[in-house]
Amino acid sequence: MLDSINITESLSREKDSKLKEIKNNIHRSLPSVYSRYKEEYKFTPFFRRLQKKFDSLSPEPTKEIDSKNFEKILSTYDSFRLVIVNGTYVKELSNLPKELNVSSYNKLSNEEKENFLNFYTQSDDSNNDIFSSINLISHEACTSLSMNEGTIIDEKVSIVNIIDSALPSYFRKCIIIRKNAKISFSEDFIYLNPNKNFSNSVTEIFLNENSNLDYFSVQKMNSNFHFNSINVVQKKNSTSTFHTYSFTGEIIRNNLNVKLLDKNCYTNMFGFYAVKNKSLVDNHTSVDHIDENSISNEHYKGVIGEGSNAVFNGKIFVRQKAQKTNAFQSNNNILLSDNAKVNTKPQLEIWADDVKCSHGCTVGQLDEEALFYLMSRGLTRKDSISLLLSAFSSEITEKIEDENIRSFYQEVILNELEELNHD
Amino acid sequence: MLEIKNLHASIEDKGILKGLNLKVNAGEVHAIMGPNGSGKSTLASVIAGREEYKVTEGEINYFGKEISELSPDERAREGIFLAFQYPVEIPGVSTTNFIKTAVNQVREHKGQKPLDAVSFLKVMKEKMKLVNIKQELLSRSINEGFSGGEKKRNEIFQMAMLEPKLSILDETDSGLDIDALKIVSRGVNALRSKDNATVVVTHYQRLLDYIVPDFVHVLMEGKIVKSGDKNLALELEEKGYDWIKVKN
Repeated sequence: MLDSINITESLSREKDSKLKEIKNNIHRSLPSVYSRYKEEYKFTPFFRRLQKKFDSLSPEPTKEIDSKNFEKILSTYDSFRLVIVNGTYVKELSNLPKELNVSSYNKLSNEEKENFLNFYTQSDDSNNDIFSSINLISHEACTSLSMNEGTIIDEKVSIVNIIDSALPSYFRKCIIIRKNAKISFSEDFIYLNPNKNFSNSVTEIFLNENSNLDYFSVQKMNSNFHFNSINVVQKKNSTSTFHTYSFTGEIIRNNLNVKLLDKNCYTNMFGFYAVKNKSLVDNHTSVDHIDENSISNEHYKGVIGEGSNAVFNGKIFVRQKAQKTNAFQSNNNILLSDNAKVNTKPQLEIWADDVKCSHGCTVGQLDEEALFYLMSRGLTRKDSISLLLSAFSSEITEKIEDENIRSFYQEVILNELEELNHD
Repeated sequence: MLEIKNLHASIEDKGILKGLNLKVNAGEVHAIMGPNGSGKSTLASVIAGREEYKVTEGEINYFGKEISELSPDERAREGIFLAFQYPVEIPGVSTTNFIKTAVNQVREHKGQKPLDAVSFLKVMKEKMKLVNIKQELLSRSINEGFSGGEKKRNEIFQMAMLEPKLSILDETDSGLDIDALKIVSRGVNALRSKDNATVVVTHYQRLLDYIVPDFVHVLMEGKIVKSGDKNLALELEEKGYDWIKVKN
């Protein structure tokens, strides 16, 4: 299986000596990382399906892009946007607030590179997930984002990732939010190539003291493959909130790993999936409570349509020092057909003794009793189902504080649910 | 209006109704009484079109049309209303929005224009008074966290909003204290007219002190075994259902 990954070619392209050393190291440890694949991908046959499509997971070498090709797509992103094409940050296409410093690694000054390398690979899961290791080896230009101390950006910044290649594409970002800074991102992946494609994205996020981050992802991958790993390290009094909405993809695999390093950290992980067209959506999350008094609050809900699959695996670790932790996790699923499937597994490991933790999951069908009630008042079956599904999803979108952003994402989800409810 | 002939109905192959006959004309109030397990709630569900119940024999004619094949929403749009014995809690769906959707779908079916926000609110305020229900309750999710009495009042409120021709009240008195019972009955009585009819399904005679029926039927083992006027209910209260069993 490992032979088929065939990424030594991309390894040989790396020119930077420090990066080359890092990449060589991880390349050597591939067999040991791969040994975890079976357990980590128990219900998600990612390799098997990728192999049918790709002989090699090596990306295309970075090429010149013609900005004109992207103008039409980008016209819908009329506020702040960060544009990354086939893994490379494109400054000319982006429109960024001045408080956000963005650069490709190879365009950083030597001093900046040195600082960057203090963070790079420090939080990622390349030792644990083979696709993350492959990303580390195969990506060509990591995008570095940073915010200076005390800077606040109120308007949301869209990260627009464009895949315009027939070969696998690797995206990598390292985001450093310094003390008292605040920002919110939304991230999209757009496939321009008509072939079935594979995109692999790894993001490392460092939240310093008292900083604040909101992160929205909308995943409509059509019939493409997508691997996405977001890895967060939080310091004292920092807050992060993730909203992940997944709809279509031959396979979508999300790893969301949050490490609450210090006291008084707060993280929210909210997810909704409406899985259709024989898609598979796999969410693997982990929260690691390392120090006292932190809160994690996780809620994923999903509706799975005919022939589609979902996987949820949530881990919470509460270390011995992490007294007074509050950790909540829950996952609820509705299967719309006998042919829909979900595998869900909540996991909780606690070493401290003075904590408040809960976890649970449910799998069910639409409530026939409620459907009959609504229909007995004159609503058609279709309208009744719409009403119930929209109510089911609203518990997740309700968590968005900003009213405009909330109604935007509610609309996105309702449209997707409408497509699931077509009979 | 409603004519049920030789109705047999079953759930999961278990026969519940075994040859039931019932005729209801416009302007009438009928009470269906009977012991536990006699098929009272099944009758209510079958008329409303609940899909778990299968009609195996006989017919249900509503305004001369056989409706056994109609779905619950089609029947509702034709003017049949079921007040549930156990109204369902539906988290996340606001009562007001739901009722507005329902009212406008029924209006559309009748060829009427949908109510705009202002006139809807006006009608709603009027009907709220009828059953003494508060705006605050209606802005909450359907029946979520409602008390037993509030749930039943919400049923009658919906009935008032939808203006059905045939209303079936399934054990509307169960779980109600005497004050709530009075409010609910007042609502039902206010909605009575020469053009609509009401079928009241109940265990006890008590409700019939407030909603006075024109006819009382006793349902036992899936059949109507005795019919009479309101005095039959009083007699049942006094002598119990065994009295009829013995007589039969």
